[in-house]
Amino acid sequence: MPSPSPGRTPWARRVVAPLLVLLVSFSTACQSTAEPSASPERLSRDDARVTLASHPVPTRTTIHRVFGRLPDARRKAVRKQVGAVVDRWWEAAYLGGAYPRSSFPSAFPGFTDAAEARARGDKALLTNRTGGPRIDSVTARKRSVVVDIIATGGQARTVTAHVLLRFDTTGSKTGTTTVRGRLFLTRKRGAWRIFGYDLAKGAR
Amino acid sequence: MHRLAGRVRRARRWGRATVLATVLGVTALVVPQSAVQPTDVALVKIRHAQGVATGGEDVVWILAVGSDARPGQAMTRARGDALQLVGINTRTGAATAIGVPRDSWVAIPGHGREKINSALYFAGPRGMAGAMRNLVGIEPDYVMVTRFPFFEDMVDDIGGITVTNPRRFWDPNLKKEGFRQGRIHLDGYNAMAFSRIRKSLVGGDFARSANQQRTLRGIHARIRSQADRPGFIERGVMSVMAHTDTNASPAELFEIAQAVAQVDPRRITTCVVQGRIGFVGAASVVFPDVAQARRLGREARQDATLRGC
Repeated sequence: MPSPSPGRTPWARRVVAPLLVLLVSFSTACQSTAEPSASPERLSRDDARVTLASHPVPTRTTIHRVFGRLPDARRKAVRKQVGAVVDRWWEAAYLGGAYPRSSFPSAFPGFTDAAEARARGDKALLTNRTGGPRIDSVTARKRSVVVDIIATGGQARTVTAHVLLRFDTTGSKTGTTTVRGRLFLTRKRGAWRIFGYDLAKGAR
Repeated sequence: MHRLAGRVRRARRWGRATVLATVLGVTALVVPQSAVQPTDVALVKIRHAQGVATGGEDVVWILAVGSDARPGQAMTRARGDALQLVGINTRTGAATAIGVPRDSWVAIPGHGREKINSALYFAGPRGMAGAMRNLVGIEPDYVMVTRFPFFEDMVDDIGGITVTNPRRFWDPNLKKEGFRQGRIHLDGYNAMAFSRIRKSLVGGDFARSANQQRTLRGIHARIRSQADRPGFIERGVMSVMAHTDTNASPAELFEIAQAVAQVDPRRITTCVVQGRIGFVGAASVVFPDVAQARRLGREARQDATLRGC
C-alpha cells in the first residue's frame, strides 16, 4: 500500500482551506437571501407574499432541436415568442389573478379558437378551477419550456413545446401541483398559436 | 429431560427470531423508507387531457394513395394502387379507413368510366379525389401520394410497425417465405410487401385492401406510442414531406400528425368496399357495391365512425 507523500498534507490544506471558506461563505450567502438576518421582525403572511411576488421564478425556455434550417436570430425569436405564449397561458390559468376564485373566464390566451373550445371542456386540468375556491395564494416553483421546431424555407413552421410548471398553493388546498406535457403550435395570422395539447396535472 | 426441553425452547426462540428478522429484512427491502424519501413515496394524483383542433370541421379526410410509379416516373402521373380514404375525428379521437379495390370501375371527373387506379394517371391527385367522391360521397381535404420505396423509407423512419395477420400468405416475388399468422413486426420492405401482395390471398384485391388497413393501424399504433418522445413527430413530418406529394403545408402535416397521435385505437373502424368481379372488354374489373360505398360515406362523414361494414 503506497504511503501518502510527505508534501501532500500542506498542499491539501492550502487547497481545502480556501474551498471551505468559499463554501461557508456561499452557504451563508444562500441563507441570507432566504432569511434576512437584518430583519428583527417576523414577516407577516402578506409581507411574504409581496416578497415572493417581487422575485418570481422566470420561465426557462430552451431549444431541443430544429428540424430543417433556421438562422440563429430566428431561433432566438421563436424561443422568446413561444416562451411568451406559454407564459401567458400559465399566468391566466394557474399563477395570476386573485385567489380564492372559481372563475377562469379568459384562461386560454394564445390558443386558436377551436383549441380554446376544446380546452374549455378540460378546464379542470388546464386551469386551477377545481382547487381555486380553496386556494389563497399560488407560487411558481419551476417553469420550463423545451421546444422542437420544424423549419422550411428558412422559416419556423411548427413548434412542439414540452412544458413543465410546478407551483405551491396555500389555503385549505395546500400542496404542490405539477402540470407537465406538450403543447402544439403553428403560426396563425402572424403569431404562434396553440392548436393542441397533451397534458397531465398532478397534485401532492 | 429438562435439558432437552430447554434446547427445544431455545430452538423455538431462535426460530421465531429468525422468522422475525427475515420479515423485517424483507419489509426493509420492499417498503421504501418513507421518512427519508418523502417526495418519492408521496401519493400523487395525476389526470390527463389531450386535444387537437385542426380548424374547420371536426373530421379531417385524407386520401392516402400508393402510386405504382416506376423509377424516374412522376408518382402523381401513375396508377394509384393502394387507395384508403382516412377520416380522423379530432374532437372524439375516432378514426376510420374506407378501402377501395384498385380495379373498381368508377366515374372519373372529365374522363368517363375507368378503373379507379387510373384516375391518378389521367387526372392527378385532384382527379383521384373526385373519383373517390363519386364513389363514397366524401371529398377528401388532403390527398397524399407516395410510391412504394418511399413508403418503405417512412416505415423504417418510425422504427417499423406491428400488425395482426389473420392468416399466412406469401408471394413468389415479394415474400417467398411468406408472412406467418399472428402478431408480426414489419420493417419498411415487409410493410410494403404485406400491403401489396394480392395473388395468394383468398379475398384477392379486397383482402389486400384489408391488409393495407392493418398496416395503417400498425403505423398509427407506432406513432401513438412514440409521440411523446421529443422530436419523433417532427422527424415523421420531415420524412412525409420528403417522401410524399401532398397538398398539405408543413404546418397542416404537423397538425394532422398530432391528430393521428391522439386517435384512440379502440375507436378505429375500417371497411373495404365490396363488389363483384367482371369484365369490361378484355379487362378484369371490380364493379363496386356503390350502395355500400355510399352508406359507408354517410355513416362516417360526420364523426369518422362506421357502424358496420
